[in-house]
Amino acid sequence: MTGERAGAERTRHIIFAALWVLILATLIWPVPTRMKPSPAVRSLHNTIETLPRNKLVILSVSWDVGTRGENGPQTSALINHLFKGGHRFAIFGWVFQPGPMLAEQIADSLAPRYGKHYGTDWVNWGFKAGGSPMLQALAKDIPGVIVEDLNHTSITRIPAMAGVKDWHDIGMVIDITGTSSLDSWVAFWQGVYGVPLGYACTGVMGPESFPYLDAGQIKGVVNGLVGSAEYEVLVGVSGQGQQRMTSQSAAHVLIIVLIIAGNLLMLRDRKRRAKAGG
Amino acid sequence: MPYYVIAVAGIATIGIYTILYRENPVFRFFEHVYVGVGAGYGFYFIITNVIVPDWGKPLFIQGRWYWIFALLIGGMYYLIYSRRLAWMARMVMLSTMGLLAGLAFKQFITVYVPQIVASFKPVVSNKAPYLHFSNLLVFVTLVTVMSYFFFSFEHRHPVVRGSARVGRWMLMVAFGAIFGSTVMGRMSLFIDRAAFLLFDFLRLPPR
Repeated sequence: MTGERAGAERTRHIIFAALWVLILATLIWPVPTRMKPSPAVRSLHNTIETLPRNKLVILSVSWDVGTRGENGPQTSALINHLFKGGHRFAIFGWVFQPGPMLAEQIADSLAPRYGKHYGTDWVNWGFKAGGSPMLQALAKDIPGVIVEDLNHTSITRIPAMAGVKDWHDIGMVIDITGTSSLDSWVAFWQGVYGVPLGYACTGVMGPESFPYLDAGQIKGVVNGLVGSAEYEVLVGVSGQGQQRMTSQSAAHVLIIVLIIAGNLLMLRDRKRRAKAGG
Repeated sequence: MPYYVIAVAGIATIGIYTILYRENPVFRFFEHVYVGVGAGYGFYFIITNVIVPDWGKPLFIQGRWYWIFALLIGGMYYLIYSRRLAWMARMVMLSTMGLLAGLAFKQFITVYVPQIVASFKPVVSNKAPYLHFSNLLVFVTLVTVMSYFFFSFEHRHPVVRGSARVGRWMLMVAFGAIFGSTVMGRMSLFIDRAAFLLFDFLRLPPR
Protein backbone atom coordinates (compact mmCIF):
# COMPACT_ATOMS: atom_id res chain seq x y z
CA MET A 1 0.00 0.00 0.00
CA THR A 2 1.41 3.37 -0.96
CA GLY A 3 1.86 6.08 1.69
CA GLU A 4 -0.87 8.27 0.16
CA ARG A 5 -3.36 5.39 0.03
CA ALA A 6 -2.56 4.33 3.58
CA GLY A 7 -3.15 7.94 4.67
CA ALA A 8 -6.54 8.02 2.91
CA GLU A 9 -7.47 4.69 4.52
CA ARG A 10 -6.48 6.03 7.96
CA THR A 11 -8.54 9.21 7.43
CA ARG A 12 -11.54 7.08 6.43
CA HIS A 13 -11.19 5.00 9.59
CA ILE A 14 -10.91 8.12 11.77
CA ILE A 15 -14.11 9.57 10.22
CA PHE A 16 -16.05 6.32 10.74
CA ALA A 17 -14.77 5.98 14.30
CA ALA A 18 -15.69 9.60 15.11
CA LEU A 19 -19.19 9.06 13.73
CA TRP A 20 -19.67 5.85 15.72
CA VAL A 21 -18.48 7.42 18.96
CA LEU A 22 -20.59 10.52 18.44
CA ILE A 23 -23.79 8.61 17.60
CA LEU A 24 -23.40 6.10 20.44
CA ALA A 25 -22.56 8.83 22.98
CA THR A 26 -25.53 11.01 21.99
CA LEU A 27 -27.88 8.03 22.09
CA ILE A 28 -26.74 7.17 25.61
CA TRP A 29 -26.67 10.80 26.79
CA PRO A 30 -29.20 12.71 24.70
CA VAL A 31 -29.67 16.44 25.15
CA PRO A 32 -33.32 17.61 25.07
CA THR A 33 -33.93 19.48 21.81
CA ARG A 34 -36.69 22.01 21.17
CA MET A 35 -38.56 21.11 18.00
CA LYS A 36 -40.66 23.63 16.12
CA PRO A 37 -43.13 21.84 13.82
CA SER A 38 -42.92 22.96 10.19
CA PRO A 39 -46.09 24.11 8.34
CA ALA A 40 -46.11 20.89 6.25
CA VAL A 41 -46.14 18.69 9.38
CA ARG A 42 -48.67 20.94 11.13
CA SER A 43 -50.95 20.77 8.10
CA LEU A 44 -51.07 16.95 8.17
CA HIS A 45 -51.71 17.00 11.91
CA ASN A 46 -54.56 19.50 11.53
CA THR A 47 -56.14 17.45 8.72
CA ILE A 48 -56.24 14.35 10.91
CA GLU A 49 -57.67 16.42 13.78
CA THR A 50 -60.65 17.43 11.62
CA LEU A 51 -61.38 13.97 10.17
CA PRO A 52 -64.85 12.53 10.84
CA ARG A 53 -64.73 9.69 13.40
CA ASN A 54 -67.08 7.43 11.42
CA LYS A 55 -64.64 7.04 8.55
CA LEU A 56 -61.68 4.68 8.28
CA VAL A 57 -58.12 5.95 7.78
CA ILE A 58 -55.83 3.88 5.56
CA LEU A 59 -52.17 3.71 6.64
CA SER A 60 -50.36 2.63 3.51
CA VAL A 61 -47.09 1.21 4.82
CA SER A 62 -44.91 1.08 1.71
CA TRP A 63 -41.68 0.46 3.62
CA ASP A 64 -39.63 -2.39 4.99
CA VAL A 65 -36.58 -2.90 7.22
CA GLY A 66 -34.33 -0.93 4.84
CA THR A 67 -35.98 2.39 5.77
CA ARG A 68 -37.24 1.45 9.24
CA GLY A 69 -34.99 4.08 10.83
CA GLU A 70 -37.10 6.83 9.24
CA ASN A 71 -40.46 5.27 8.42
CA GLY A 72 -40.72 3.42 11.75
CA PRO A 73 -40.82 6.54 13.97
CA GLN A 74 -43.19 8.20 11.45
CA THR A 75 -45.58 5.25 11.63
CA SER A 76 -45.35 5.31 15.41
CA ALA A 77 -46.12 9.06 15.62
CA LEU A 78 -49.10 8.75 13.26
CA ILE A 79 -50.53 5.69 15.03
CA ASN A 80 -50.17 7.56 18.34
CA HIS A 81 -52.24 10.38 16.86
CA LEU A 82 -54.91 8.06 15.42
CA PHE A 83 -55.23 6.19 18.73
CA LYS A 84 -55.37 9.43 20.68
CA GLY A 85 -57.99 10.93 18.36
CA GLY A 86 -60.13 7.79 18.40
CA HIS A 87 -59.86 7.16 14.65
CA ARG A 88 -60.30 3.65 13.25
CA PHE A 89 -57.53 2.75 10.84
CA ALA A 90 -56.38 0.01 8.51
CA ILE A 91 -52.72 -0.95 8.06
CA PHE A 92 -52.17 -1.84 4.44
CA GLY A 93 -49.14 -2.83 2.35
CA TRP A 94 -48.93 -3.15 -1.40
CA VAL A 95 -45.29 -2.40 -2.26
CA PHE A 96 -43.12 -4.25 0.28
CA GLN A 97 -44.33 -7.47 1.87
CA PRO A 98 -42.95 -6.97 5.43
CA GLY A 99 -44.49 -3.48 5.82
CA PRO A 100 -47.82 -4.51 7.40
CA MET A 101 -46.08 -6.83 9.87
CA LEU A 102 -43.62 -4.14 10.96
CA ALA A 103 -46.44 -1.60 11.37
CA GLU A 104 -48.48 -4.18 13.30
CA GLN A 105 -45.63 -4.53 15.83
CA ILE A 106 -45.76 -0.75 16.35
CA ALA A 107 -49.56 -0.69 16.72
CA ASP A 108 -49.46 -3.66 19.12
CA SER A 109 -46.87 -1.95 21.31
CA LEU A 110 -48.81 1.36 21.46
CA ALA A 111 -52.35 -0.03 21.86
CA PRO A 112 -52.23 -0.79 25.63
CA ARG A 113 -51.31 2.86 26.37
CA TYR A 114 -54.63 3.99 24.86
CA GLY A 115 -56.70 0.91 25.75
CA LYS A 116 -57.19 0.01 22.09
CA HIS A 117 -57.83 -3.45 20.69
CA TYR A 118 -57.16 -5.12 17.39
CA GLY A 119 -60.30 -5.68 15.39
CA THR A 120 -62.36 -2.91 16.96
CA ASP A 121 -59.93 0.03 16.79
CA TRP A 122 -57.70 -1.02 13.95
CA VAL A 123 -57.38 -3.74 11.36
CA ASN A 124 -54.44 -5.03 9.36
CA TRP A 125 -55.22 -5.75 5.72
CA GLY A 126 -51.78 -7.27 5.19
CA PHE A 127 -50.01 -7.19 1.86
CA LYS A 128 -51.90 -7.20 -1.45
CA ALA A 129 -50.23 -7.80 -4.79
CA GLY A 130 -51.39 -6.10 -7.98
CA GLY A 131 -49.94 -2.59 -7.83
CA SER A 132 -51.87 0.30 -9.37
CA PRO A 133 -54.70 -1.78 -10.95
CA MET A 134 -55.34 -3.27 -7.50
CA LEU A 135 -55.56 0.25 -5.99
CA GLN A 136 -58.13 1.18 -8.64
CA ALA A 137 -60.21 -1.88 -7.80
CA LEU A 138 -59.80 -1.19 -4.06
CA ALA A 139 -61.45 2.22 -4.40
CA LYS A 140 -64.62 0.61 -5.74
CA ASP A 141 -64.82 -2.57 -3.64
CA ILE A 142 -62.74 -2.74 -0.46
CA PRO A 143 -64.07 -6.06 1.00
CA GLY A 144 -63.87 -7.65 -2.46
CA VAL A 145 -60.18 -6.81 -2.84
CA ILE A 146 -58.97 -7.25 0.74
CA VAL A 147 -61.06 -10.40 1.55
CA GLU A 148 -58.98 -11.38 4.63
CA ASP A 149 -56.90 -9.61 7.24
CA LEU A 150 -53.29 -10.45 8.19
CA ASN A 151 -54.50 -13.32 10.41
CA HIS A 152 -56.68 -14.77 7.60
CA THR A 153 -59.93 -13.66 9.28
CA SER A 154 -62.67 -12.69 6.85
CA ILE A 155 -62.72 -8.91 6.58
CA THR A 156 -66.53 -8.84 6.88
CA ARG A 157 -66.29 -10.32 10.41
CA ILE A 158 -64.01 -7.58 11.76
CA PRO A 159 -65.88 -4.82 13.70
CA ALA A 160 -63.45 -2.08 12.58
CA MET A 161 -64.56 -2.75 9.01
CA ALA A 162 -68.26 -2.25 9.74
CA GLY A 163 -69.82 -0.13 7.02
CA VAL A 164 -66.62 0.10 4.98
CA LYS A 165 -67.46 -0.66 1.36
CA ASP A 166 -65.60 1.71 -0.94
CA TRP A 167 -63.71 5.03 -1.10
CA HIS A 168 -66.76 6.92 0.28
CA ASP A 169 -66.07 5.30 3.68
CA ILE A 170 -62.40 6.33 3.78
CA GLY A 171 -61.58 9.56 5.62
CA MET A 172 -57.98 9.76 4.54
CA VAL A 173 -55.08 7.77 3.11
CA ILE A 174 -51.64 8.30 4.67
CA ASP A 175 -48.79 6.95 2.57
CA ILE A 176 -45.77 6.14 4.75
CA THR A 177 -43.15 5.26 2.25
CA GLY A 178 -39.56 4.73 1.25
CA THR A 179 -40.40 4.45 -2.43
CA SER A 180 -42.37 6.26 -5.15
CA SER A 181 -45.80 4.92 -4.16
CA LEU A 182 -47.39 8.34 -3.78
CA ASP A 183 -48.02 8.80 -7.53
CA SER A 184 -50.36 5.79 -7.58
CA TRP A 185 -52.43 7.10 -4.66
CA VAL A 186 -52.62 10.53 -6.27
CA ALA A 187 -53.47 9.10 -9.69
CA PHE A 188 -56.11 6.59 -8.64
CA TRP A 189 -57.55 7.90 -5.36
CA GLN A 190 -56.93 11.58 -4.73
CA GLY A 191 -57.04 12.68 -8.37
CA VAL A 192 -60.16 10.67 -9.18
CA TYR A 193 -62.23 10.63 -5.98
CA GLY A 194 -60.71 13.51 -4.03
CA VAL A 195 -59.84 11.34 -1.01
CA PRO A 196 -57.46 13.40 1.20
CA LEU A 197 -53.88 12.17 1.15
CA GLY A 198 -51.16 12.48 3.78
CA TYR A 199 -47.51 11.74 3.12
CA ALA A 200 -44.65 10.52 5.32
CA CYS A 201 -41.48 9.89 3.36
CA THR A 202 -37.76 9.30 3.82
CA GLY A 203 -35.47 12.32 3.91
CA VAL A 204 -34.17 11.75 0.39
CA MET A 205 -37.71 12.04 -1.00
CA GLY A 206 -38.70 15.10 1.03
CA PRO A 207 -37.69 17.90 -1.37
CA GLU A 208 -39.57 16.23 -4.24
CA SER A 209 -42.81 16.11 -2.25
CA PHE A 210 -43.33 19.87 -2.19
CA PRO A 211 -44.87 20.21 -5.70
CA TYR A 212 -47.58 17.78 -4.50
CA LEU A 213 -48.15 19.88 -1.40
CA ASP A 214 -48.21 23.08 -3.41
CA ALA A 215 -50.78 21.64 -5.83
CA GLY A 216 -53.00 20.53 -2.92
CA GLN A 217 -52.62 16.86 -3.84
CA ILE A 218 -51.35 16.03 -0.36
CA LYS A 219 -52.45 17.64 2.88
CA GLY A 220 -49.09 17.56 4.61
CA VAL A 221 -45.65 15.97 4.74
CA VAL A 222 -43.73 14.25 7.51
CA ASN A 223 -40.19 14.31 6.15
CA GLY A 224 -37.67 11.84 7.57
CA LEU A 225 -36.78 11.44 11.23
CA VAL A 226 -36.96 15.17 11.88
CA GLY A 227 -40.57 15.14 10.58
CA SER A 228 -41.54 12.41 13.03
CA ALA A 229 -39.92 14.37 15.89
CA GLU A 230 -42.00 17.43 14.92
CA TYR A 231 -45.14 15.30 14.67
CA GLU A 232 -44.48 13.84 18.13
CA VAL A 233 -44.38 17.39 19.52
CA LEU A 234 -47.81 18.11 18.02
CA VAL A 235 -49.31 14.85 19.31
CA GLY A 236 -47.70 15.38 22.72
CA VAL A 237 -45.80 12.10 22.93
CA SER A 238 -42.10 11.38 23.35
CA GLY A 239 -41.04 8.85 20.77
CA GLN A 240 -38.02 7.71 18.81
CA GLY A 241 -38.12 10.83 16.65
CA GLN A 242 -37.38 13.21 19.51
CA GLN A 243 -35.12 10.75 21.33
CA ARG A 244 -32.83 10.51 18.30
CA MET A 245 -32.69 14.19 17.40
CA THR A 246 -29.52 14.80 19.44
CA SER A 247 -27.70 12.09 17.47
CA GLN A 248 -29.08 13.39 14.18
CA SER A 249 -28.02 16.98 14.91
CA ALA A 250 -24.59 15.92 16.20
CA ALA A 251 -23.96 13.84 13.07
CA HIS A 252 -24.93 16.80 10.87
CA VAL A 253 -22.56 19.11 12.75
CA LEU A 254 -19.74 16.58 12.35
CA ILE A 255 -20.38 16.26 8.61
CA ILE A 256 -20.44 20.04 8.15
CA VAL A 257 -17.15 20.33 10.07
CA LEU A 258 -15.63 17.55 7.94
CA ILE A 259 -16.76 19.23 4.70
CA ILE A 260 -15.20 22.54 5.79
CA ALA A 261 -12.00 20.80 6.97
CA GLY A 262 -11.78 18.80 3.73
CA ASN A 263 -12.11 21.95 1.64
CA LEU A 264 -9.50 23.81 3.70
CA LEU A 265 -7.06 20.91 3.32
CA MET A 266 -7.73 20.79 -0.42
CA LEU A 267 -7.04 24.54 -0.72
CA ARG A 268 -3.81 24.14 1.28
CA ASP A 269 -2.66 21.28 -1.00
CA ARG A 270 -3.52 23.29 -4.09
CA LYS A 271 -1.49 26.24 -2.81
CA ARG A 272 1.46 23.97 -1.99
CA ARG A 273 1.36 22.39 -5.46
CA ALA A 274 1.14 25.81 -7.10
CA LYS A 275 4.17 26.93 -5.08
CA ALA A 276 6.13 23.78 -5.92
CA GLY A 277 5.19 24.15 -9.61
CA GLY A 278 6.07 27.84 -9.71
CA MET B 1 -39.24 -11.21 20.82
CA PRO B 2 -36.91 -13.85 22.33
CA TYR B 3 -33.40 -12.59 23.10
CA TYR B 4 -31.64 -15.17 20.91
CA VAL B 5 -33.34 -13.60 17.84
CA ILE B 6 -32.14 -10.16 18.93
CA ALA B 7 -28.65 -11.60 19.59
CA VAL B 8 -28.47 -13.07 16.06
CA ALA B 9 -29.60 -9.71 14.62
CA GLY B 10 -27.03 -7.86 16.73
CA ILE B 11 -24.16 -10.15 15.68
CA ALA B 12 -25.26 -9.86 12.02
CA THR B 13 -25.37 -6.06 12.29
CA ILE B 14 -21.83 -5.93 13.72
CA GLY B 15 -20.68 -8.43 11.09
CA ILE B 16 -22.02 -6.25 8.28
CA TYR B 17 -20.44 -3.11 9.77
CA THR B 18 -16.97 -4.74 9.78
CA ILE B 19 -16.79 -3.59 6.13
CA LEU B 20 -16.07 -0.13 7.51
CA TYR B 21 -12.63 -1.39 8.51
CA ARG B 22 -11.89 -3.37 5.34
CA GLU B 23 -13.22 -6.15 3.11
CA ASN B 24 -13.18 -9.36 5.18
CA PRO B 25 -14.65 -12.90 5.37
CA VAL B 26 -17.01 -12.04 8.26
CA PHE B 27 -18.68 -9.31 6.19
CA ARG B 28 -18.84 -11.63 3.17
CA PHE B 29 -20.49 -14.35 5.25
CA PHE B 30 -23.22 -12.09 6.64
CA GLU B 31 -23.73 -10.45 3.24
CA HIS B 32 -24.44 -13.85 1.65
CA VAL B 33 -26.67 -14.86 4.54
CA TYR B 34 -28.64 -11.62 4.07
CA VAL B 35 -29.10 -12.16 0.34
CA GLY B 36 -30.14 -15.80 0.89
CA VAL B 37 -32.57 -15.00 3.68
CA GLY B 38 -34.09 -12.14 1.66
CA ALA B 39 -34.62 -14.30 -1.42
CA GLY B 40 -35.98 -17.23 0.59
CA TYR B 41 -38.33 -15.04 2.59
CA GLY B 42 -39.65 -13.36 -0.58
CA PHE B 43 -40.35 -16.73 -2.21
CA TYR B 44 -42.09 -18.10 0.90
CA PHE B 45 -44.13 -14.92 1.31
CA ILE B 46 -45.37 -14.85 -2.28
CA ILE B 47 -46.48 -18.50 -2.05
CA THR B 48 -48.24 -18.20 1.32
CA ASN B 49 -49.61 -14.66 1.12
CA VAL B 50 -50.32 -14.10 -2.56
CA ILE B 51 -50.56 -17.29 -4.64
CA VAL B 52 -52.40 -19.47 -2.10
CA PRO B 53 -54.95 -16.93 -0.73
CA ASP B 54 -55.44 -14.80 -3.86
CA TRP B 55 -55.40 -17.52 -6.49
CA GLY B 56 -55.40 -21.03 -4.99
CA LYS B 57 -58.26 -20.45 -2.54
CA PRO B 58 -60.74 -18.91 -5.03
CA LEU B 59 -59.94 -21.58 -7.63
CA PHE B 60 -59.76 -24.77 -5.58
CA ILE B 61 -61.82 -24.03 -2.46
CA GLN B 62 -64.42 -21.50 -3.56
CA GLY B 63 -64.84 -23.15 -6.98
CA ARG B 64 -64.31 -20.01 -9.04
CA TRP B 65 -63.14 -21.95 -12.11
CA TYR B 66 -62.41 -18.83 -14.17
CA TRP B 67 -59.28 -18.16 -12.06
CA ILE B 68 -57.63 -20.89 -14.15
CA PHE B 69 -57.25 -18.22 -16.85
CA ALA B 70 -54.77 -16.39 -14.61
CA LEU B 71 -52.48 -19.43 -14.82
CA LEU B 72 -53.03 -19.87 -18.54
CA ILE B 73 -52.42 -16.23 -19.39
CA GLY B 74 -49.47 -15.97 -16.97
CA GLY B 75 -48.04 -19.19 -18.40
CA MET B 76 -48.13 -17.70 -21.90
CA TYR B 77 -45.21 -15.45 -20.88
CA TYR B 78 -42.96 -18.51 -20.80
CA LEU B 79 -43.76 -19.41 -24.41
CA ILE B 80 -41.15 -16.80 -25.36
CA TYR B 81 -38.67 -19.69 -25.16
CA SER B 82 -40.46 -21.56 -27.98
CA ARG B 83 -39.75 -20.27 -31.48
CA ARG B 84 -43.06 -21.68 -32.80
CA LEU B 85 -45.30 -20.34 -30.01
CA ALA B 86 -43.50 -17.09 -29.14
CA TRP B 87 -46.33 -15.10 -30.77
CA MET B 88 -48.55 -16.08 -27.84
CA ALA B 89 -46.05 -14.58 -25.37
CA ARG B 90 -45.96 -11.41 -27.46
CA MET B 91 -49.77 -11.14 -27.23
CA VAL B 92 -49.64 -11.11 -23.44
CA MET B 93 -46.74 -8.67 -23.41
CA LEU B 94 -48.54 -6.32 -25.77
CA SER B 95 -51.65 -6.43 -23.57
CA THR B 96 -49.52 -5.63 -20.53
CA MET B 97 -47.81 -2.78 -22.36
CA GLY B 98 -51.19 -1.38 -23.42
CA LEU B 99 -52.46 -1.60 -19.85
CA LEU B 100 -49.37 0.13 -18.45
CA ALA B 101 -49.46 2.82 -21.16
CA GLY B 102 -53.09 3.54 -20.29
CA LEU B 103 -52.27 3.73 -16.59
CA ALA B 104 -49.27 6.01 -17.26
CA PHE B 105 -51.44 8.34 -19.34
CA LYS B 106 -54.03 8.54 -16.58
CA GLN B 107 -51.26 9.05 -14.04
CA PHE B 108 -49.81 11.92 -16.06
CA ILE B 109 -53.17 13.69 -16.25
CA THR B 110 -54.04 13.32 -12.57
CA VAL B 111 -50.56 13.75 -11.07
CA TYR B 112 -48.70 16.28 -13.22
CA VAL B 113 -51.39 18.51 -14.76
CA PRO B 114 -52.47 19.88 -11.32
CA GLN B 115 -48.78 20.53 -10.51
CA ILE B 116 -48.26 22.42 -13.76
CA VAL B 117 -51.41 24.46 -13.05
CA ALA B 118 -50.19 25.16 -9.49
CA SER B 119 -46.87 26.47 -10.80
CA PHE B 120 -48.65 29.48 -12.36
CA LYS B 121 -48.58 31.82 -9.38
CA PRO B 122 -49.49 35.49 -9.24
CA VAL B 123 -46.43 37.70 -8.80
CA VAL B 124 -48.60 40.76 -8.08
CA SER B 125 -51.47 40.62 -5.57
CA ASN B 126 -52.59 42.16 -2.28
CA LYS B 127 -51.06 39.34 -0.23
CA ALA B 128 -48.05 39.56 2.12
CA PRO B 129 -44.77 40.70 0.46
CA TYR B 130 -42.92 37.47 1.35
CA LEU B 131 -45.50 35.54 -0.70
CA HIS B 132 -44.74 37.77 -3.68
CA PHE B 133 -41.05 37.01 -3.28
CA SER B 134 -41.79 33.30 -2.98
CA ASN B 135 -43.98 33.34 -6.11
CA LEU B 136 -41.39 35.37 -8.00
CA LEU B 137 -38.71 32.85 -7.04
CA VAL B 138 -40.90 29.99 -8.32
CA PHE B 139 -41.47 31.91 -11.57
CA VAL B 140 -37.78 32.70 -12.11
CA THR B 141 -36.75 29.12 -11.29
CA LEU B 142 -39.38 27.65 -13.61
CA VAL B 143 -38.43 29.84 -16.57
CA THR B 144 -34.65 29.61 -16.15
CA VAL B 145 -34.59 25.84 -15.59
CA MET B 146 -36.86 25.32 -18.61
CA SER B 147 -34.55 27.48 -20.72
CA TYR B 148 -31.59 25.35 -19.56
CA PHE B 149 -33.36 22.26 -20.91
CA PHE B 150 -34.25 23.89 -24.23
CA PHE B 151 -32.05 22.07 -26.72
CA SER B 152 -33.80 22.86 -30.02
CA PHE B 153 -31.30 25.62 -30.83
CA GLU B 154 -27.90 26.69 -29.57
CA HIS B 155 -27.85 29.05 -26.58
CA ARG B 156 -26.18 31.94 -28.45
CA HIS B 157 -28.34 34.89 -27.47
CA PRO B 158 -27.03 36.49 -24.24
CA VAL B 159 -30.53 36.45 -22.66
CA VAL B 160 -30.98 32.73 -23.31
CA ARG B 161 -27.40 31.98 -22.28
CA GLY B 162 -27.77 33.97 -19.04
CA SER B 163 -31.12 32.42 -18.27
CA ALA B 164 -29.76 28.89 -18.85
CA ARG B 165 -26.81 29.67 -16.56
CA VAL B 166 -29.16 30.85 -13.79
CA GLY B 167 -31.22 27.69 -14.42
CA ARG B 168 -28.13 25.56 -13.92
CA TRP B 169 -27.46 27.28 -10.59
CA MET B 170 -31.06 26.68 -9.53
CA LEU B 171 -30.67 23.01 -10.40
CA MET B 172 -27.48 22.87 -8.32
CA VAL B 173 -29.36 24.33 -5.35
CA ALA B 174 -32.10 21.69 -5.79
CA PHE B 175 -29.53 18.88 -6.04
CA GLY B 176 -27.83 20.24 -2.93
CA ALA B 177 -31.14 20.16 -1.04
CA ILE B 178 -31.78 16.59 -2.19
CA PHE B 179 -28.24 15.49 -1.32
CA GLY B 180 -28.49 17.13 2.11
CA SER B 181 -31.75 15.28 2.72
CA THR B 182 -30.10 12.06 1.57
CA VAL B 183 -27.32 12.49 4.13
CA MET B 184 -29.97 13.16 6.79
CA GLY B 185 -31.83 10.00 5.76
CA ARG B 186 -28.75 7.79 5.76
CA MET B 187 -27.79 9.10 9.21
CA SER B 188 -31.28 8.25 10.50
CA LEU B 189 -30.88 4.68 9.28
CA PHE B 190 -27.49 4.40 10.96
CA ILE B 191 -28.86 5.87 14.20
CA ASP B 192 -31.63 3.24 14.13
CA ARG B 193 -29.06 0.43 13.91
CA ALA B 194 -26.87 2.01 16.60
CA ALA B 195 -29.93 2.37 18.88
CA PHE B 196 -30.79 -1.28 18.25
CA LEU B 197 -27.27 -2.35 19.23
CA LEU B 198 -27.32 -0.26 22.42
CA PHE B 199 -30.83 -0.72 23.74
CA ASP B 200 -31.93 -4.11 22.33
CA PHE B 201 -28.71 -6.07 21.81
CA LEU B 202 -26.68 -4.74 24.75
CA ARG B 203 -29.85 -3.99 26.76
CA LEU B 204 -28.76 -0.60 28.02
CA PRO B 205 -31.66 1.25 29.65
CA PRO B 206 -32.86 4.10 27.36
CA ARG B 207 -32.74 7.58 28.94
